[in-house]
Formats: sequence, structure tokens, C-alpha cells
Amino acid sequence: MAAIAKALNILAVLGISGALLFAFYWQLVRGELPCPLCLVQRLGLIGAGLGFALNVRFGSSESHYGVVIISALVGGAAATRQILLHIVPDTGSYGSALYGWHFYTWALVVFVAIAALAGLLLFIEAQFVEGTHDLRPSMAAQAVGWLFVVVVLANAVSTLLECGFGACPDNPTEYELLRK
Amino acid sequence: MMALPFVVLVIAALVPMLGFRKTSVIVWAVAMAATLWILWSHATTPLKIVL
Repeated sequence: MAAIAKALNILAVLGISGALLFAFYWQLVRGELPCPLCLVQRLGLIGAGLGFALNVRFGSSESHYGVVIISALVGGAAATRQILLHIVPDTGSYGSALYGWHFYTWALVVFVAIAALAGLLLFIEAQFVEGTHDLRPSMAAQAVGWLFVVVVLANAVSTLLECGFGACPDNPTEYELLRK
Repeated sequence: MMALPFVVLVIAALVPMLGFRKTSVIVWAVAMAATLWILWSHATTPLKIVL
């Protein structure tokens, strides 16, 4: 059962990295810059990914799952806020839709799924027997960890370029630091 | 200001690769506090929606 928990943690890090990369694709190829609430949702995703990555790197711990669940709550709150901003008919929406739902709606679904996954994984008590340790991590753990670091770094650079050192505009149309 | 929690989370993601587990959790907590502050600031700003 512990092996299943570890595999699911690796899959969760890969899935979250994939979601962040897909958001990047939409940002760079489709030219839709993320709004401030979208960026808060990305922060929630990164935080949740960090909790799973800690499980992969050091072994499972309840506090790592706490990182996942609290991050999912923060990201979910931002997604809910954005859904409520546009829930009244004729108040518009932000960004384009994917399979009929906007990205903030998908984000809420993903955050609920992440919190549910963390809750379910907490039932696998066998994974906590060994405790956390700093042994030489496996190649898979190293690869997943470094992939996650690169994705987070790319998000930080992108946000710095888009918002500069201040607050982001509500409807960003250009990168603040690249403006001539 | 918006980029700050991202930069902090880069550190939180990087330090576990160097073997620091508790530091990562503490740095994550700082990033989440900054994120909550940003979210709170946004939520308490009056809306400009014309109904």
C-alpha cells in the first residue's frame, strides 16, 4: 500500500506540473495573460504540488498532506471568488472556455479533487511507518522534483515579467517589464 | 508584489532538493500567508460590475 501511495504522489506532482504547463501553453501560444486571481490559483496549485513533492522526496508525512490541503483550500477560495464574480448573467467572464467551462471553474474542480486525493491518501497508514528521512532519493524522485522546480521557476519569471514589482492589473494585456 | 509569493515558492521548491525538509514547509507557510493577503486585498476591493 505504501508503494501505491508513493506512486500516486508522483502522479500528483506530474499532474500538477502538467496543469501548470498547460496554463503556460495557453498564456504563451494563445496570448491570454493570467489575471491576479488566476495567479493566486496558480500559487495554490504550486503549493499543493510542493506537498506531494515533499512526500516523494522525503517519504510521506501528515504535515506534507497538510501543505497540500491548505494550498488547495487557498486556491479553491480564489477560484470560487472568480466564479462568483461572473455568476450573474451578463457580467462577462475572463479568458476563453475549455470544453464549456472557464479555467477558474476547472481550477475549482481540480482543487476539490486534490484535497479529496490528499484525504484519501491519508487513510493509507502504511506509508507513515518509516517516517520522513533524507536518504539518497531515487532517480524518479529527483527527476520529478527538478521538473517541479523548473515549472515553479518559470511561473515566477513569467509573473515578474507580467506584473513587475507591483500589483497586477485586473485585465492584463501586456508584460509590464517588457513594455517599451 | 504579486510576484513575491512565486519567488518565495521557488525557494520552497528548491530547498527540498538540497535536503532541507522543515525549511521548505516554513517557507511555504510564508508564501501562503502572502497569497492569502493578496486574496484578501482582492476580495475587499469594491467591485466595479454594473448590474
